[in-house]
Amino acid sequence: MPLKWLLHWQPNAGTTVNSQILSEVSQCVESINGAKEGRWKSTLTFYRPVLRDQTLQAEYPRDCLGISLQEQPNKYYFILRSQRIVLEADSTIQMIMEKLQSYKSRVSLYFEGFQYQLGDFQLRVGKVVPTHSENLRGIVMEVEYLPISSLDKSRQIMEDFVDIWQETVSKRSLPGHFMHIEPNFAEYGLSDHYTSQHTAVQYAIVMAQLIASVRN
Amino acid sequence: MQQQPQAPVASATQPDQLESCETTAEAPPKQVALAMERLGQAARLIADVRLGADRLLEALFIAAQPHQSNKPLHLIVNEEATMRQHLQDLRAVGRQLEESGVLNSLRSRNNSWGLHMPLVCPDGAVVAYAWKRQLAGQAGASAVDRTRLALKAFTDQRRRFFPHLEDESSGQTSGVESGVSKKHCSSQASTLTHKEEPSEEKTLPEVLLRVEKEAPNMRIFTYQHLDWLKRASALSSSTNENFIESSKENNFQTSNRLRTGSLGPVSADQIAAVELLVPSVFRAIISLHPAGSIEPDAVAFFSPDEGGSYIHSRGFSVYHVFRHLTEHAVKALQFFLGINTDTALYNLLHWICSYETLFTKSCCKCGRLLTIDKQSTLLLPPIIRPYRHSFTTKATVTQSSFSMKDQSSHLVPAYHVGCYSEEL
Repeated sequence: MPLKWLLHWQPNAGTTVNSQILSEVSQCVESINGAKEGRWKSTLTFYRPVLRDQTLQAEYPRDCLGISLQEQPNKYYFILRSQRIVLEADSTIQMIMEKLQSYKSRVSLYFEGFQYQLGDFQLRVGKVVPTHSENLRGIVMEVEYLPISSLDKSRQIMEDFVDIWQETVSKRSLPGHFMHIEPNFAEYGLSDHYTSQHTAVQYAIVMAQLIASVRN
Repeated sequence: MQQQPQAPVASATQPDQLESCETTAEAPPKQVALAMERLGQAARLIADVRLGADRLLEALFIAAQPHQSNKPLHLIVNEEATMRQHLQDLRAVGRQLEESGVLNSLRSRNNSWGLHMPLVCPDGAVVAYAWKRQLAGQAGASAVDRTRLALKAFTDQRRRFFPHLEDESSGQTSGVESGVSKKHCSSQASTLTHKEEPSEEKTLPEVLLRVEKEAPNMRIFTYQHLDWLKRASALSSSTNENFIESSKENNFQTSNRLRTGSLGPVSADQIAAVELLVPSVFRAIISLHPAGSIEPDAVAFFSPDEGGSYIHSRGFSVYHVFRHLTEHAVKALQFFLGINTDTALYNLLHWICSYETLFTKSCCKCGRLLTIDKQSTLLLPPIIRPYRHSFTTKATVTQSSFSMKDQSSHLVPAYHVGCYSEEL
């Protein structure tokens, strides 16, 4: 499937992200002839183990993330970042988790926004909000290059695009910039050929980054 | 006064020949204009005659009804007079046209040169007029002389407009007549389209073998006519990897060097489609016509992940980059065919090899990989790889401007559509 880079907004030290920045970013996309296509939404859930014996907590991974992606409505992805594990499961696994009560979902976040088409590129600009509130926690952007699926072969094209993008955004003098972190996909057992599991891993990484920046 | 030339004296005695003498003294363009005007007049008169006939019929119809006055009778009489006048005018115009040679009549003896203007040539071009001397030269010369003259004129034109074509004895003339002017159409016989059978110096397996050696990263598959369609429909992103894996196994087992994508053994003379696949970069389909020959017919580029029955040598990719690339490739194909159909396939495949670097090689002019194309406002990588100087005219390698040693596609320059101009 076409490969995708996930960028996230890194606010400058001492500033926070706000909806003004989001609208400016959307305008940037439109300024490079992005055609608005529709909405998109992905969901990320934090799971915590439910243990009778609290002393055993250390043995269980604490950062179990579950992700449901817009482009794969029938699948659900689990990521254990510390163990570098990614798992693709059927979407009914959520029901099973509920029944098992082994892991409970604690916090859920929505990544939602608009999708744009730019020739062979597809962009998704989205805000990060908790499920039951409107607090903007972050801004993410998915950049998808449709003609190719190889991460390696597309690296230069994507870097060039990000350069063009950064140039466009910097003209608006916003307090922050977009960042791209390249996860080591090989550690997760993923190959050069892009799949939704790669997307899930990127979301996990970005999530960790957002949490870290909020703490700082 | 007696020394006056014949024509004016004749004109003094015969008024209706006056006009014709005037016209013969004028230049052909004026003659044409006059003739057109007269034809227009004639058309108007004919329309008037038609109307008159309608009115007569109407009057007769009214007269046929009971309780009518003299009105229809008046109508008929008047109409008859006007009709008569119209017909007389028409006759006069017709005579004028005959005299100027536009209309042929049985009595006409004017044009003794044997060519009546306007002349419609067999290929549809119209020669509206010709100078007398030209007519004399053409009419007086024999058929052989005329043909020789025409061939000389054509060759001169070709040398002037297509200097890159070589004057080989095998006379490749297909597809390059567009520059020839229409003046020669009346004398061009079919002798010019005679083409000697090109000697088959290379067969399809040889060409493919050579290309395989030059581009180890590129996979080449061959297909019979319908087998490709089946394969194209079966292509989709999920089965793509599986096919590559399984085809690797097949290749080890096949003793035939031609990697056949078709099911079952296929002889080289049935191959109608060649697939060039650079994994993760592109898939190019070339059709051969006739099957088994080395004459490429059409070419198209697609993403390696695309699948569906629209994937064929005349189809278009859904992605802009490959669509633009296909357009460029079609031009390259026409160019290679125009040079030498024997080596066209090899030249085309060799040129396609250079696209291994489609997503990695920056533009030689602006130094960037991605840029916004001004015409389409799309972000595109450099899709132009010049083809004008990367060809061989002979089947042997020695004449190639790229030596066998630097077959590396990294040495072929790349340009964005907007950065490339013909002078480069």
